[in-house]
Amino acid sequence: MFWGKEKTKRSSGSDKSKKHKGKGLVLFDSVEEAIRAERLVAKAGYACSLVAPPPQLRKGCDVAVEIDLVEQPAIERVLEQASYVEVTPLSGSGKLLDIIQIFRYGNYTMVRAGNMKLTFEEPSGIIVNTSGGGCPDIPYLHIELMGKRLDEIPRPKDIGHTLCALMLDRAVEGARDIWMNGGEK
Amino acid sequence: MLLIAGIIPRADLPLLEGRVERKGQFLNVQLHEIPSGQGTAAMISAALALTEYLEIDPPRVILAGDTGRGEGSRKIYEYLVDKVAELSPSVLALHYWMPNLELMHQLYEKLQLLDPAPVLIADAASMYAAKAAGLAAGFDVFTPDLSEIAFLADPEAVHPAYIDKHLFQSCDRSTVPDIINMAYKNNGAARYLLVKGKSDFIADKNGVLAVVDEPDVPELECIGGTGDTITGMCAALIAKGLDIKQALILSARANRLAGMVATATPASRIEEVIARIPEVFQNHLDI
Repeated sequence: MFWGKEKTKRSSGSDKSKKHKGKGLVLFDSVEEAIRAERLVAKAGYACSLVAPPPQLRKGCDVAVEIDLVEQPAIERVLEQASYVEVTPLSGSGKLLDIIQIFRYGNYTMVRAGNMKLTFEEPSGIIVNTSGGGCPDIPYLHIELMGKRLDEIPRPKDIGHTLCALMLDRAVEGARDIWMNGGEK
Repeated sequence: MLLIAGIIPRADLPLLEGRVERKGQFLNVQLHEIPSGQGTAAMISAALALTEYLEIDPPRVILAGDTGRGEGSRKIYEYLVDKVAELSPSVLALHYWMPNLELMHQLYEKLQLLDPAPVLIADAASMYAAKAAGLAAGFDVFTPDLSEIAFLADPEAVHPAYIDKHLFQSCDRSTVPDIINMAYKNNGAARYLLVKGKSDFIADKNGVLAVVDEPDVPELECIGGTGDTITGMCAALIAKGLDIKQALILSARANRLAGMVATATPASRIEEVIARIPEVFQNHLDI
């Protein structure tokens, strides 16, 4: 109805460009560790494969495990039993956003980490809202955190699965720092 | 027909497809009661509030339980791929789910075959998936917030957690028009954008079309679901037949007015804002 002729011109991307979109690499010091890790990740039910990392991303050995990057925190939990160098995206910024921003609303403080926001009441430390994000664990984490004190909650990185959960965890960490320092950052 | 798809944060909820109705504090779909205030449920609640007010058909929904592992998300993608031609929605709004780029490509290919093509709206991780899969330009509406417009503008980023740090830091009200232009230049934007923030920017490939910044209710940014309600209202207004630009402007204004009328605080629940939507349209907006 609205696309008209433009619709036919749209490209769905080449197969080559599609192939690595959304992927990340887990890097290892040794091939043996990479093979063992791939088995652990696959056994836990996550899509993964052994690949050769591109030269610019290579750290350690020349075998890596390719994963869906959005599942990074869940896969890092699986790999607590293994030894790996780091997780890195196949494209874009190689580092997770680590910027914390703070906004005050009277007795409430909102902490923003990337696309996730957490608001707590002071001085009680009670979480009164979370907002932002879009991954499927975010509504679940909202329910888990709401109405609880900052030091009584499970960490989103421990019960969440996605990159949004990881950013929410950073907001929790920032909020705890502020709350435990009596409102000062 | 307005069709909304997304996950519900309950591990035990099966795949559901059907008309949604309100039942007290819950949404009812195929005899399943769903809490009305979180994520996709908040979006549906806002859309339903408006379809009731406008006296048009309620939204049809495709929902599945998912707390983060992606199983429910996969069921929704697969159901849509299989059934979207049969359902033939006039407006399709995609929302919270696991951003699976391969399945998003499969769905997009099916959507391209529909005639007439539905108005395609994506928010939350559906928007992440559409952009990361290189399909943003095939969508009609994205509704990002400030961090998400930076993600749309970053040509390499596959998720807002991995956007360029400098781009993220530079994104504020004064730079939004430039970042919107960057998103279009890098094929990261839908045909229309509604960038939510202290000021809401409505834009297309030619730049900013409108700015909505009144009433100013800064507390809304704290409340989980206030972006979802904008997307839900916008979807309902487009289903009513409004043009997209007008629907986006009205949704942004209505959200702010609902927050004001509800005397929103940082601790307010989204249900309090949604409850005010009909009176906001009745008393303050002309459609």
